[in-house]
Amino acid sequence: MKRTIIAILALTLLCSGLGLAQAKHPSELKYPGLKYDPPDPKAFRTVYAGGIRAYVQEDHGLPLFNITAVFNCGDLYVPKDKAGLGRVLGDQLIKGGTASREGTAIEERIDFLGGSLNFMVQERTAMLSLSVLTKDLDEGLALFFDVLRNPAFREEPLKLAKARFIEQLRQANDQPNAVLSREYEKVLYGDNALTWQPTKATYESIGVADLKAFHAKHFTPRNVILAVAGDFTKAALKAKIDKLASGWKGGAPALPALPKSFPSHEPGVYFIQKAINQGYISLGHLGLEDTNPDYFAVQVMNFILGGGSFTSRITTKVRSDEGLSYNQGSRFAYRWGFPGTFSGYVQTKSSTVGYAISLILAEFDRIRKEPVSDAEMETAINYYLESFADGFQSSLQTMMSFANLEMTGKPMDYYKTFRSKIQAVTKARVQEVAQKYIHPDQAVIMIVGDFEPCNKGGDKWPGPLDKLGKLHRIDLIDPMTGQVAKTP
Amino acid sequence: MKKRILALTLAAAVLAVFALAGDVTLDVKEHVLGNGMKILMIPKPGVPRVVCHIYFRVGSINERPGITGSAHVHEHLMFKGTEVMGVTDYAAESKIDAEIDALMDKIYRERFWKDGGDAAQIAAWQKKVDELVAAQKAYIIKDDLWTRYMSNGGTGLNASTSQETTGYYVTLPSNKVELQMLMESDRLMNARFREFYSEKDVIMEERRLSENQPGYFFGEQVDAAFYTASPYHWDVIGWMDDLKKMTKKDLIDFHDTYYVPNNAVAIYVGDFDPQAIVAMAEKYFGRIPKGPDLEPIRTGEPAQYSEKRFYGEGPAPTSLRMMFHIPPDGHPDAAALGILAGTLGSGGGGMGPRGGGGGGGTGRLYKTLVRDKQMAVSASASSRPQWYVGAFQFNATPRLDKGVKPEDLEKEIWAEIDKVKKDGLTEEELQKAKNKGEAAFVRSLASTAGLASRVGRAELKRGWRSILTDLDGLKKVTNDDIKRVAAKYFVKDNSLTAIYTRKSGR
Repeated sequence: MKRTIIAILALTLLCSGLGLAQAKHPSELKYPGLKYDPPDPKAFRTVYAGGIRAYVQEDHGLPLFNITAVFNCGDLYVPKDKAGLGRVLGDQLIKGGTASREGTAIEERIDFLGGSLNFMVQERTAMLSLSVLTKDLDEGLALFFDVLRNPAFREEPLKLAKARFIEQLRQANDQPNAVLSREYEKVLYGDNALTWQPTKATYESIGVADLKAFHAKHFTPRNVILAVAGDFTKAALKAKIDKLASGWKGGAPALPALPKSFPSHEPGVYFIQKAINQGYISLGHLGLEDTNPDYFAVQVMNFILGGGSFTSRITTKVRSDEGLSYNQGSRFAYRWGFPGTFSGYVQTKSSTVGYAISLILAEFDRIRKEPVSDAEMETAINYYLESFADGFQSSLQTMMSFANLEMTGKPMDYYKTFRSKIQAVTKARVQEVAQKYIHPDQAVIMIVGDFEPCNKGGDKWPGPLDKLGKLHRIDLIDPMTGQVAKTP
Repeated sequence: MKKRILALTLAAAVLAVFALAGDVTLDVKEHVLGNGMKILMIPKPGVPRVVCHIYFRVGSINERPGITGSAHVHEHLMFKGTEVMGVTDYAAESKIDAEIDALMDKIYRERFWKDGGDAAQIAAWQKKVDELVAAQKAYIIKDDLWTRYMSNGGTGLNASTSQETTGYYVTLPSNKVELQMLMESDRLMNARFREFYSEKDVIMEERRLSENQPGYFFGEQVDAAFYTASPYHWDVIGWMDDLKKMTKKDLIDFHDTYYVPNNAVAIYVGDFDPQAIVAMAEKYFGRIPKGPDLEPIRTGEPAQYSEKRFYGEGPAPTSLRMMFHIPPDGHPDAAALGILAGTLGSGGGGMGPRGGGGGGGTGRLYKTLVRDKQMAVSASASSRPQWYVGAFQFNATPRLDKGVKPEDLEKEIWAEIDKVKKDGLTEEELQKAKNKGEAAFVRSLASTAGLASRVGRAELKRGWRSILTDLDGLKKVTNDDIKRVAAKYFVKDNSLTAIYTRKSGR
């Protein structure tokens, strides 16, 4: 017996010396050290002609060239009677052509080169992105700047786009998830630019002049940041961009002030009827901004509550223990310039809707009342620390991250200090921010589903749903008119 | 001991293979373990992360009626622990687990073998099961593998099942790849399917999520009608009946058959030393015994001989779908069919919810049906060769405001097909397709997880070099090839046409 032990010991020593020790359990593994410092935004920042700011990285690994222009402009700057203008612009900046090229010709040429040129308008940012092979850099870049600077917004393509978008309104109530998130935000944010939806009338009211005015106001060299990565030299690229941007003028536009406070909502159950076999559920209220100093503690807290996938409490309870759902958890959504939403979410068969909600509410309550465990803290914090380098795997993505920091006015040492701020979060801070940002008594519990079976409940949680709070029935809006629909 | 060192030295002689496409190299390092498991490596020095994927040559086509959905159920169960993971006292826990299985076997026989069964008896057994499950919980460490990965900085953590392959994914810091080797080899050898019964409930919820996507039921039926004999007949999620009735033994048999090292490929992409990867793979995956050889799928799709038409109504948008049988992946006609799909269908898909413009409405169907005739909201085409039987598909949504019907679009698409049969494509269209293929290849090399997925899956069918030979094949396609394949496959007797009309209901 003794000899065996010695033999095993010798073997282990020898093997570990060679890196051969075979672990049986992860706790036996010892990892070599790893130090990673994130890239410094300053090393990549440059300014081109006209004051265009840019984050630029040479990356000669592959013969590719990628450039994205991020503008400070979006749906939130569109008036209510023109709702949908951002979407139309998203389609027409390219399809509407430029002063010298038809939209079709631009699309054909980019396609022929095996490249891509895409434009999209989001809530407060709009992005034009080009990707081409290095051999096509000059031609691609010229098209990119032509589209940015000289869109023509021709009548015919605009007419077609509006007709297609109006046709697509018919689908606005098809997907239960889309209905849920739209109506949830309507209750939490009330009636303002955040929640306005396009209708047939608003689409029809959008004309060439609207697009031209919106473009002229927002597409200026001082209102854009470029993110560039690929196979080029910085000096040569600067010469090209300076030339393409020469004569482009305009300061930062005056942008409308955004609402910071929102009408109070009545807590309780909000039910939207749809003949489906599950309830799609969101429950919560407004959250916070990601510039709030509490952000890091909130991230750790939510990881433990319902953001950390299978390691989180909501997933363990609702999915793993009870088998009630495939998809569940909690999230803090963040928006630039105003608070995002906090929500627990789950989709479960009609008879277990009430039960699943009760379990999530219990978890909201528990993280407020009891300190989290050491093991939960360790998992959450280690996840953020150890996965940190993930965000820097692609040079283009890194440049985009830096451009976004500057655009949204976050500190440029955000990434440099990220890990120490996560490390500083304590159990006490987790409980403190849970109490500060989670309020089960104020929760809007929104359900899209089939009312009768959801309201009836099941063995573990018999209905009715108004046990969870005052019941509000919400009628679906006819997306064509924006008025209450006649039939579900 | 000596023998072991020798093995390592041999293992370190990694075979590097270089292949060229244009001026760009796809460099995949290969190593085959003694048990037949393949290790592929694509080093990308830089950020200290490594994409670690494992793919198995198994998916829903390896199922049969009665156990449809089991490849996917099995993928879920692979996260439920082993003899050392997910459990504090395996001896005590496994005893309870066996008792649960025995009782559930009785319940299943009573409920599913008899017409309804004895409800009181089932309830009594179920009560015992509930007590045992509660007792078992004391020994279970919930989602242990998942937590280990996350607390070590694992991202992209997931698994997926398709018709042909199943993959397990994680991206780790460069210094922690050994964690993946240990846990993946452990679950290959020692998976224990705890919480099987509640996990089936989770999967039924997953199926319901699909069912609640408008048009899902119709689409599922259309696919089942298109693929009559081959195992592409059912969806990866499986039929609800089978999900309810499949047993743990079904899954253990499935595991023992397909989860063998000679049916697997592990691929690593990122910042690592290939020799260290090989040494670790030998140590962890190399300890697993080789399994029996696996026979490919037997049943192909018999010739159709007559047109199929399918009509349905429900809560999804009114639409047209036309499907044609085409040969599988690797067939010489696949390249020409791929070019046809791109040339006809490019940029003609539905517009995303955010209305992202661009991407190019450059396909013939978009230009004719959406832009010029203004008959369709969207019109697209796709070619899916798949491993054993292929499908070419057209999709279009009519402009209801103009009174257009799906049947009108069907006529228009046939007219476009006839043009191709007669004249083929233009020289420019052919060149464009080749340029796009080459650029897409270069772009794919810039990714990490995407590249791992493409190379790993390709390896399981025709070897990863097929990515390069396919690119060469694409460059060789002529206009005669285009006309020939259009004439051969786009015929009514080889087609299914599905017409769907929006109406309330499911």
